[in-house]
Amino acid sequence: MTILQLHDVAKSFGEGSQRVDAVRGVTFAVGRGEVVALAGPSGSGKSTLLALAGALLSPTSGAITVDGKDITRYGARARTRYRRDRVGFVFQGSNMVPFLTARENLLLVGEFGGIDRSALRRRADELLEKLDLAGVRDQIATRLSGGERQRVAIARALMRDPALLLVDEPTASLNLELGIRVVDALVNEVHVRNKACIMVTHDDRMARRADRLVEIRDGQVLAG
Amino acid sequence: MLALIEIRRRKLQFGFVTGVVLLIAYLIMMVTGLGLGLNQQAGTALLNLNGDHLAYASNANLSVIRSRLADSDVSEIRSIPEVERATPLGYVAVVIEYAPETSDTAAILGVIPGSFAEPEVIEGRSIAGPNEILIDRTWTRLAGAGVGDSLALPVAFDTRTFTVVGIVDQGYFFFQPAMYVDLSAWQAIVFQGEGAQQPAASVVLLQGQQLAGRSGAGWQIVTKQDGFENIEGVRAQQSTVDALRYMGLLIGAMVIGVFFYVITLQKTALLGILKAIGASGVYLVTQGLLQVLVVSVAGAGLAVGLALLTEATVLSSDSIPIRFTWGAIATAAISVVVAGLVGVALSARQVTSIDPIIAMQQQ
Repeated sequence: MTILQLHDVAKSFGEGSQRVDAVRGVTFAVGRGEVVALAGPSGSGKSTLLALAGALLSPTSGAITVDGKDITRYGARARTRYRRDRVGFVFQGSNMVPFLTARENLLLVGEFGGIDRSALRRRADELLEKLDLAGVRDQIATRLSGGERQRVAIARALMRDPALLLVDEPTASLNLELGIRVVDALVNEVHVRNKACIMVTHDDRMARRADRLVEIRDGQVLAG
Repeated sequence: MLALIEIRRRKLQFGFVTGVVLLIAYLIMMVTGLGLGLNQQAGTALLNLNGDHLAYASNANLSVIRSRLADSDVSEIRSIPEVERATPLGYVAVVIEYAPETSDTAAILGVIPGSFAEPEVIEGRSIAGPNEILIDRTWTRLAGAGVGDSLALPVAFDTRTFTVVGIVDQGYFFFQPAMYVDLSAWQAIVFQGEGAQQPAASVVLLQGQQLAGRSGAGWQIVTKQDGFENIEGVRAQQSTVDALRYMGLLIGAMVIGVFFYVITLQKTALLGILKAIGASGVYLVTQGLLQVLVVSVAGAGLAVGLALLTEATVLSSDSIPIRFTWGAIATAAISVVVAGLVGVALSARQVTSIDPIIAMQQQ
């Protein structure tokens, strides 16, 4: 069953001679319980595609549906709710809130409403354990290593049990062993909880752990 | 609460911000306090008089210094039906040498002993004779004089020794400590030689309704407040002080407002992350307002404490008069808090329209 569907999506930045077509006529779908690795060289449009799926950007043309609803028609408030309730983001930089501890960064998503706080606390502890972060749960984010921060970001993305996970280079700052553990945890979570996931990666070893590989070049999907 | 956690975790940063708020609020309060203190020195003794109205000589242009009323004027004023009570009051400034080669000016007010113009005595007793004097406690601080001491006052072309029989707390009259003598003693002090017409009083203090605006051949009645505002220099001084006060309030409020506006905009990257993971614009603005509320209330509260401490200690002298009223303190404190909140509110539009992608790239 399809969760995310992109249909002929295009995104351009700038106008006239300054115009850059970052994404051109992209069509693909991600089903429930499926991890799609999005691979391609730098500047190929992978991160832009991820931002479009997460409603951080609006497409120039085309349609993006999540659970059958066209998110490109959403207003600002609906987009905020969509990001809050339906999407889990892991950004290229870990993007932690620097003055919060690892656990507080996870619990932060409860501040935005619409979720039971006690269930959230249980889930935070469970995810910290699962991602091998229990020992640093009370460490301030700025004192965590790059790998720890990245895992906290993944845990945070899973906190609200979103339907769709959008993950940008999750293992960029991790060693191979840890990277594999993190991706495996991510893939396992997607399978067990029946979510959809797009994972942007440069690393073939990580891409191979996904269910499907979509290659993108110059803003266009080559294969997938 | 994210806002409160940040304050707790970034104590130094928020301590500095609170310090800036404190200093600006303190500055506003000090300007206000100095204004009120100066205002008090202009004539609290006049404002403290137990009456509603004052009758001046019509040619005095509402100046107590120039006003001289004759017996016939005083009688005529007393006979106005709306006048419930009336008592003559004399004023003259004298230089008193209270220590060898050390002198200062005092405001001598002549009153009829036992009349309602006589102030409440806080130490000692009331005047009972022409050679007795009540002195204000500001003079006791200045000259060290107390009950039982003697003061030599120039009377006509000589000096007369007055015995201090009581201390009053009436403050100043024309920026000079107020002293009270028997009206006949005042008349003796202002004696201008044989043949000169002796005044009955400078003004008449009145109690009664709807007396303002009444006038006769040689007199006119105004409210006590009008009389105060017409003390030489008071109006100009008050305008200057008010201008300073309002400018202080305005500039202080603007500085704090802009300060918090800039601080909020400096957090663009962090706000972008929060937006990306689902924080609404309303949530972000609320957190900003909460943070500013905590910091500005803390800063303003500390400034109130510091201002009161200043009033009570180092600067509370007669040479640097500072007085605070709760109204003035509350105005300054509330202005600072409101200005901070306005600063955040002004940045609300930018906060709600932050593009998470661009904001996160700034991190």
